Amino acid sequence: MADSPEEIQKSIRKYLWIGALLILFTIITVALSYVELPTHSLNILVGMIVATFKAALVALIFMHLNHERPLIYKVLAFTTVFALALFMLFIFTSGDPLVFEGF
Amino acid sequence: MSATTHDSKQGADHGHDHHEPGFIGKYVFSTDHKIIGVQYAVSGLLFLLLGFFLMLLMRWSIAFPGQEVPGLAFVEKLPLLGPIFHEMIGRWAPGGVVNGELYNMLGAMHGTIMVFLGIVPLGFAGFVNFVMPLQIGTIDMAFPRLNMWSYWLFLVSGIMMLASFFVGTGSVQTGWTMYSPLASTTTLAVTNIWMHGHTWWLLAMVFNISASLLGSVNVITTVINLRAKGMSWMRMPFFCWAMFVTSFLLLLAFPPLEVAALLQLVDRVFGASFFLPTGLMEGGQHLDIAGGGSPLLYQHLFWFLAHPEVYVLILPAFAILAEVIPANTRRPLWGYKSMVYATLTLGFLSFLVWAHHMYLTGMGTMMSTYFQITTVLISVPSVILLTGLMISLWGGSIRFTPQMLFASAFLPMFGIGGLTGLPLAFTFIDLALHDTYYVIGHFHYVVAPGTIFALFAGVYHWYPKITGRYMSDKLGKLHFWPSLLGMNLVFAPMFIQGMGGFHRRWYDGGKYFEQTSGVSNFWTELNSSIFGLFGMEVPNNLLGLNVLMSVGAFILALGQVPFILNVFLSIKGGRKTNSDNPWHCTTLDWATPTPPPHGNFDFEPVVVRGPYEYSVPGIDQDYFPQWEIEPGKAAPVPAGAPASAPAHH
Amino acid sequence: MDIPYTVSARPDTGLYNAKIGIWLFLASEVMLFGGLFSSYIFLRVGADYHWPVHELNVTLGFINTLVLIASSVTVVMAWASLKLRRIGQFKLYMLITVLCAGVFMVNKTFEYKAKFEHYAVKLTDGTYLTGHLPEGYEIKFGEVGDLTLTVQARTSAIDADPVDYVLPFLAGGEARFKTEDGSEIELNETTFADLREKALAKAATEGKNNAAIKLVPTSPLAFKAKPGKILGYNATTMTFRDGSIATGKLTDDSMVLEVDGVDTRSVPDAEKSLAWNAGYLGDAWKKAFVENRDHHLKAFEEKYGDRRDPKKSATLQKEAFFMHLHSATPEAGHGDDHGEKKAAAGAPAEHGDAHHAHHPVVKIDKKDIAFYSNFTPKLNTYYAIYFTLTGLHGLHVVAGALVLAYFLFMDGRRLRENPEHLANRVEVGGLFWHFVDLVWIFLFPLLYLL
Repeated sequence: MADSPEEIQKSIRKYLWIGALLILFTIITVALSYVELPTHSLNILVGMIVATFKAALVALIFMHLNHERPLIYKVLAFTTVFALALFMLFIFTSGDPLVFEGF
Repeated sequence: MSATTHDSKQGADHGHDHHEPGFIGKYVFSTDHKIIGVQYAVSGLLFLLLGFFLMLLMRWSIAFPGQEVPGLAFVEKLPLLGPIFHEMIGRWAPGGVVNGELYNMLGAMHGTIMVFLGIVPLGFAGFVNFVMPLQIGTIDMAFPRLNMWSYWLFLVSGIMMLASFFVGTGSVQTGWTMYSPLASTTTLAVTNIWMHGHTWWLLAMVFNISASLLGSVNVITTVINLRAKGMSWMRMPFFCWAMFVTSFLLLLAFPPLEVAALLQLVDRVFGASFFLPTGLMEGGQHLDIAGGGSPLLYQHLFWFLAHPEVYVLILPAFAILAEVIPANTRRPLWGYKSMVYATLTLGFLSFLVWAHHMYLTGMGTMMSTYFQITTVLISVPSVILLTGLMISLWGGSIRFTPQMLFASAFLPMFGIGGLTGLPLAFTFIDLALHDTYYVIGHFHYVVAPGTIFALFAGVYHWYPKITGRYMSDKLGKLHFWPSLLGMNLVFAPMFIQGMGGFHRRWYDGGKYFEQTSGVSNFWTELNSSIFGLFGMEVPNNLLGLNVLMSVGAFILALGQVPFILNVFLSIKGGRKTNSDNPWHCTTLDWATPTPPPHGNFDFEPVVVRGPYEYSVPGIDQDYFPQWEIEPGKAAPVPAGAPASAPAHH
Repeated sequence: MDIPYTVSARPDTGLYNAKIGIWLFLASEVMLFGGLFSSYIFLRVGADYHWPVHELNVTLGFINTLVLIASSVTVVMAWASLKLRRIGQFKLYMLITVLCAGVFMVNKTFEYKAKFEHYAVKLTDGTYLTGHLPEGYEIKFGEVGDLTLTVQARTSAIDADPVDYVLPFLAGGEARFKTEDGSEIELNETTFADLREKALAKAATEGKNNAAIKLVPTSPLAFKAKPGKILGYNATTMTFRDGSIATGKLTDDSMVLEVDGVDTRSVPDAEKSLAWNAGYLGDAWKKAFVENRDHHLKAFEEKYGDRRDPKKSATLQKEAFFMHLHSATPEAGHGDDHGEKKAAAGAPAEHGDAHHAHHPVVKIDKKDIAFYSNFTPKLNTYYAIYFTLTGLHGLHVVAGALVLAYFLFMDGRRLRENPEHLANRVEVGGLFWHFVDLVWIFLFPLLYLL
């Protein structure tokens, strides 16, 4: 049982460490955004990777997703799939990748 | 206590010892799931009636464009109602004639009211609140106070929506889909943008969506955590399964609509250009906007909700029928498990088909092909559900109670609606049929004689549990037959007109588009000669069908009178039920006293078998309730047993 | 008769009710912000202008990020303390969390306020001038000959309401008019109602749905209005938002702008931008601009050679073609932002009045203005999504803080009698709070940095 007093006592230090880590990564994000990578898209990609890592720390440690019940994971898995579908919207603005050149 | 069926003790106090709230606490700001369910259902029915009334005005204008609506002048002269009606509708209809502006308002509000304020509150919120906690054997929803908030937020949204008729600009006029840029720019020149019907519509939607979210969180949590002992997932009645999936659709699909509504609100109120492209002109002038947005973004966000919304409308219908049909055929529900899995698949796939509403936006062949495939795929689980219900009829000795009449009419009606949808799934056919009456006919067959019939069935089915009295059979039949006739007269000709090219938004019913609408065929000839038998002259062309449809609409309207009478008169005058389980059902909602008191059960229900054990060989009665170990004897509460016993089939 | 599993977990699911509830709610929140982020991508991919990079106040955003991270730590510590029944610590941590929310919102207010006071003007050739409007921007209209009000028989979107929509813009003269029947009135609510009734009665006899009321001022009259407050105007007429039309003469519609930035990124040839016209910034600033641009282009060339395409570097484009003006004349202070990043980051406007003397003031002809707005959602889709996202996020911060403050200040009885239940509530409130932090983790780089 991860919610026992002993476990909680142990995780308090962990929370502080994660907090410090998050601040460190925030500084890294800001610094990286001023570095000129070959393309700006690459800057965005790197920035998003760092942000995702930070978000994962918050979700896993602070929100206890590292030891949650299966049910919560199931709900979140479905949500993630649908959210990804939602993120695909922008693809519809670009041209049609399928081109017919006669039959 | 271990009583299973109770002798009817009308007025006897089944209540437990607890603090008795006053009238307001008990019936108005109640946290009891049953009261909230009834509140939802009654509000939903009233909104359905209002939406229906708006449709009658539209139908009149379509069949007899430019002619005075009969009775409009009379209503305006009524003492109290008259001025209200004048402010709402009358002021837009000079001389009693529905003009284009009013028609657009009626169209937009008919759609909005029917979908968001009628069917979802009645079919989903009403039934799920009343029935689901009873069926899974718990005392209330997981968050009773949240449940109350959900209802009142919904009511606020409904009132705002109605109030939008009364603001200076009248209600919203851009169809229930509110497509930008039209919806973002029309009448931007109004004196006060906050006092615009459209702004109110958007705000009302934000409330409505919040209400749905609270409701669905509540339903899902209740189903997951509050099931009675022994109620394993696969012993749960199909009703709860379907509602469970519906809740997920509401939970995850509504937020994108909220986004769309918010962004459109920002566009309208703060002058942003989320949905407005660069260089947009109106009336020959460049608008004072930055541009750079995209109308397509709105459509995507809208349909990302609105397609799952279709299943939010239809799944409650299946949920109700899965209770009504086995109870009246005295046969188990055929293919319970496959129906459960079909529902889950349906829920999942419904998120991945939205752009089939947008084939004509030029999104490209590959994307259309993808959505074409998913759309055709989703018809598979739908067919499984329909087939399951249909085969459940096989070999049953069917009792044709009013609810069974509606249920059996649902099957072919929904079948027509579903099958006519298939051609629309294909891009190349959709090119021709998009935005025609064919589409209107298709989805109305799904939701009107489909869902609404199922909702009627549900009302007839659970009415004895709510009030302790049956609804009248005679009035029920008098309700059913005109409804069936009316529905088909209204919607079937739409297919013919739609294939003839009738556009869905003609307020004059196509009178000014003679080239398309002046065509005649076998059906128009039949139509005009039948009217000829009654001495009425109806043109022998597609326009003539408008008259037939409007006659159908008025038959449908008359058909609802017995229902309204039935609902009200039966409260006091209906035949009393002589048992807590008058239909001899197997599910836990019939194990409670009638009407169920606060706290529902007077014994702790323990579930020992599946939900549809009808006509089980070897026992005397033709039903074997979920909570009985042998007929008439409730299962004992296992001492120290886990809350959920292992399932075995 | 209590609802089961409010405090303890149900054995087979291992969860108490509120925890399932909050995760479901968060799932729907994911879809809500997912929709907004998706809109962000959609708009950015389809943007037909230069998407702003490092244009917001990075320092403020950075501080706010730290504040939110700190509050995330304290809220989880508060929960842990309560679980261990260290009540004093619990209260302290909760208090810090709520205070952090306050600091966040105060910062946000400063940030928003600066944006509202700062303007951007798009010239017809695509050049953007940013700056402040010391006098606001108003259209002056004089020598009013007559005023025509259109009243509708039935309520309509546009119905004459001169008291609310015309008279506020009076900038000289009195609201005294001669009506068509020759009598002289002072226009106010009563006299207008009277006029309206008469005009409609007359229209009704003619079978019309609307009527026009023509008023002639008895003394010289002038109007002054912000363009957004009226419907439109041209050289001889001015149309108010209630549909009333005044005839007369346009006296002045030019805009006085204290320029603090010239953005020529959308102009094909920056040296030919309208901004360098003699009446506007002139040749001296043009020279400064060219120097600045060449400096940055050269530095980029030296650093990367052929390996990078200067057209594809958002930062370079911004540094070279978006010049910030820090002095009234180019000679006074030019050159101090060479190669410095802070010039870009510190969007002006946060410095108060003394600052204004440090910018050139130009008078822009109306014919050269294509569009103008302050830095609000109207300006472009970037600011629209910025305000929507951060505004909605701000609402979540406020709501979360209120809930946590409730647990801290109003839930004392539960703390004494059923601390385990309160711990559950704090955990649930904390989950929401972490989610708010999580959204910000993505918002900060997307809006402020990249």
